[in-house]
Amino acid sequence: MGLLDKLSCLLGLKKKEVHVLCLGLDNSGKTTIINKLKPSNAQAQDIVPTIGFSIEKFKSSSLSFTVFDMSGQGRYRNLWEHYYKEGQAIIFVIDSSDRLRMVVAKEELDTLLNHPDIKHRRIPILFFANKMDLRDAVTSVKVSQLLCLENIKDKPWHICASDAIKGEGLQEGVDWLQEKTIQSNSGCEDMKR
Amino acid sequence: MLKKFDKKDEESGGGSNPFQHLEKSAVLQEARVFNETPINPRKCAHILTKILYLINQGEHLGTTEATEAFFAMTKLFQSNDPTLRRMCYLTIKEMSCIAEDVIIVTSSLTKDMTGKEDNYRGPAVRALCQITDSTMLQAIERYMKQAIVDKVPSVSSSALVSSLHLLKCSFDVVKRWVNEAQEAASSDNIMVQYHALGLLYHVRKNDRLAVSKMISKFTRHGLKSPFAYCMIIRVASKQLEEEDGSRDSPLFDFIESCLRNKHEMVVYEAASAIVNLPGCGAKELAPAVSVLQLFCSSPKAALRYAAVRTLNKVAMKHPSAVTACNLDLENLVTDSNRSIATLAITTLLKTGSESSIDRLMKQISSFMSEISDEFKVVVVQAISALCQKYPRKHTILMNFLFTMLREEGGFEYKRAIVDCIISIIEENSESKETGLSHLCEFIEDCEFTVLATRILHLLGQEGPKTNNPSKYIRFIYNRVVLEHEEVRAGAVSALAKFGAQNEEMLPSILVLLKRCVMDDDNEVRDRATFYLNVLEQKQKALNAGYILNGLTVSIPGLERALQQYTLEPSEKPFDLKSVPLATTPVVEQRTESTPITAVKQPEKVAATRQEIFQEQLAAVPEFHGLGPLFKSSPEPVALTESETEYVIRCTKHTFTDHMVFQFDCTNTLNDQTLENITVQMEPTESYEVLCYVPARSLPYNQPGTCYTLVALPKEDPTAVACTFSCMMKFTVKDCDPTTGETDDEGYEDEYVLEDLEVTVADHIQKVMKLNFEAAWDEVGDEFEKEETFTLSTIKTLEEAVGNIVKFLGMHPCERSDKVPDNKNTHTLLLAGVFRGGHDILVRSRLLLLDTVTMQVTARSSEELPVDVILASVG
Repeated sequence: MGLLDKLSCLLGLKKKEVHVLCLGLDNSGKTTIINKLKPSNAQAQDIVPTIGFSIEKFKSSSLSFTVFDMSGQGRYRNLWEHYYKEGQAIIFVIDSSDRLRMVVAKEELDTLLNHPDIKHRRIPILFFANKMDLRDAVTSVKVSQLLCLENIKDKPWHICASDAIKGEGLQEGVDWLQEKTIQSNSGCEDMKR
Repeated sequence: MLKKFDKKDEESGGGSNPFQHLEKSAVLQEARVFNETPINPRKCAHILTKILYLINQGEHLGTTEATEAFFAMTKLFQSNDPTLRRMCYLTIKEMSCIAEDVIIVTSSLTKDMTGKEDNYRGPAVRALCQITDSTMLQAIERYMKQAIVDKVPSVSSSALVSSLHLLKCSFDVVKRWVNEAQEAASSDNIMVQYHALGLLYHVRKNDRLAVSKMISKFTRHGLKSPFAYCMIIRVASKQLEEEDGSRDSPLFDFIESCLRNKHEMVVYEAASAIVNLPGCGAKELAPAVSVLQLFCSSPKAALRYAAVRTLNKVAMKHPSAVTACNLDLENLVTDSNRSIATLAITTLLKTGSESSIDRLMKQISSFMSEISDEFKVVVVQAISALCQKYPRKHTILMNFLFTMLREEGGFEYKRAIVDCIISIIEENSESKETGLSHLCEFIEDCEFTVLATRILHLLGQEGPKTNNPSKYIRFIYNRVVLEHEEVRAGAVSALAKFGAQNEEMLPSILVLLKRCVMDDDNEVRDRATFYLNVLEQKQKALNAGYILNGLTVSIPGLERALQQYTLEPSEKPFDLKSVPLATTPVVEQRTESTPITAVKQPEKVAATRQEIFQEQLAAVPEFHGLGPLFKSSPEPVALTESETEYVIRCTKHTFTDHMVFQFDCTNTLNDQTLENITVQMEPTESYEVLCYVPARSLPYNQPGTCYTLVALPKEDPTAVACTFSCMMKFTVKDCDPTTGETDDEGYEDEYVLEDLEVTVADHIQKVMKLNFEAAWDEVGDEFEKEETFTLSTIKTLEEAVGNIVKFLGMHPCERSDKVPDNKNTHTLLLAGVFRGGHDILVRSRLLLLDTVTMQVTARSSEELPVDVILASVG
């Protein structure tokens, strides 16, 4: 980091940048969530299925997030791993109304957690139990049971119920993510010292 | 910016190229920087440049390493640096075929192409189309349609050009974008209009009606873009060519109207289109030529060059049309641009009068050494055309050619000169002696083996017939002493030809050949020994058969026959008559426009064609025991009109005592399948139909073949010419055009075909005899017959010669097919081989009074061929 960057950081003029991976099955609402988090003048009107990935940016109160919004379609999921290394946090989105594919989501999650680039890092994971507005959606507690989230011991994680179309529950999640990211980063820096 | 520096450095020489010593592995190692945050755009762009440089230098990237670098590069999309982003687009395009999963950037690119930054949008469209295959195209179709009609010209152009590329693999999808392209075609931007027109044309180019509609629409409304005009002119002239239609077509009117366009580019394009139209007359050419004439005095060198180059082309075919421009061309002769000057002079040589030749030749020789070989060839061609036009000028032209021959030059250039000289010698007997002696001088110091052997061959052929043949011997023998083996072998052959034709020189030739027997090289030694032994026999027939006229069989055929013979040894000696003859190529009449054509080799193709037939026929069990295939008719004869239900073409194969007719049938009805097809034949003469080999089944549009075998008449063997009436018999089964399923039930049907002619020419194979007189003596007069006929319907000697050659299907020897002007007598010499392998020679003396009287003398080693010839002529 250059002297100027450091200075601006200290003064709080420039926010610290964090890389976040946004993962989850297709049609779970990843792009919609990210779109909603962007400032209202930069939001896209219509959301189409992502092919490959796209890079989006949004800011929270003290951090600047660079999100790798990955495509959830089956044939592109194996491309996620190319971006694991740089990810400093993960947003995992689940369609709570799609009970049938909850197992698929669990499988993808397990693969993710066991990946060598992820396994030994204390990387914060934020789960969005999305599409709460739908009638047959299950609760966030039920989702965490179905995905066996309680087995994740070595990483900070948090699940929030959300409705990306209205934007409900998103801010809560981002606030948690910001707190944990700052913690884990300072932890890292502590270790470096 | 980086690119620009790069280019400049390359130009200024190797030393300063910063990318010169790049190591692939080091660069890929550096590419890991892409993963770091925050991104350093300058550094990353520099590394991308290095990668692109490596790829463009032909460095091979493995799939794994390429994919790794590619995915690292995708992370650069988080930076908003414009230079870096554009480098990313370039990298994506370059690596789209090397790396895997390049599809990963699709969403990033669609985001850029629909985004607000106009600088990104065009390149993003191009990169996106590069990584998209036909399966993914549907996903981006909506964006493409939007981009085509985008207000920003660069985006619209990019989308149109990319669509053109996509057309190759996903025609059906791109076809749906026609409406958008149509809208773009009415754009105000000249590039967009041009690109839109290009796309529209390529979508429709297989549909002639749609193309002509498109042309008429745009010609009516007019176009803004000169590029689009040029494109439309090209399309229209192509269309005109295909229609090969009348000059009053609206298309032609349109092209002509473009001659008055305000853009020079369009005017030139129109003029060049008119000039290149086949069968264009002087009336149509005149406006185009006058436009080009104006260009000749343009201050822009490019325009002058274009004009004079086009005029040069016109002058080949219509020298008179260009005469009007002579004055302007004269001015260009001294143009500072050498290319323009050369073209101007060669054009003038074609159009100018005989008197101006001397002056022009002097002019051109003043800077001959300054122009490139390519233009020198143009000059040689012009000279060659001049020689045909003004035979009297041959001395000055020859001298010029020889000065050129002595100067340095590449193979193509030298070959063009030698070709030209040889054609002058052939055309003009007066120039023979000087020509030959100049060529002798040339081979004294000739670095091109092909040319040296060619000249040696020519010397062997022409030298003995000159007044003083002995003067060539020194040159030829020098080759034996000085040159390498190929030239030495050629020289030995040439020596032998002198010995065979000249009694006085024979003893000295024998001495020279004896020395050659000691040569180091096998081929040279073999030739010398062979010729020595033949010459020592002192028999004219032997000389004729083995020295003057070489083998007439096809070499690959001989090779196969010999191999067959060694595999199945038999008591009988090998029979040379069982080897198929070499089919001599039809020597095209040299036209004025192409005085020096590239050396074509139809011989080889023809030989293989006959071999293909031989193999096909050998596969049919009915045809075993017919002996070797003697001749196949060169062009299949159509027995139906081309637009009818069934298309039948017939090829005639002649064997020693039989003929096989091969019928290639195509069924053009998609609701029928034919089965069990035969062609029934009724001969008028005593031919006897032996058997029919049916084609089993003939589905829609798939060619099939059936055969008919006939025996040649035995009782009256001279009656070889015959007409067969033909009728096709078959079983029709209806079938569903869409699924191709056929009904089980069928019915018999017949189809009457046109009559098939068998002529004398089908029984005779053309053979080239280099020395007709020797061959004539060799055959002897045992079976000689002579008769005189009157050709009452023929008025000129040329016509008579043409007809006789065509009718007998024999090869004219010693250029006797060319009738000299202003003579009323001519002797035509023809050589051929009659089926069964007997040489047949015909000498026909023609006398022109009011009608042509012809005295035919035929010689052969058998009686039958002579009888056949005389019977058929009468």
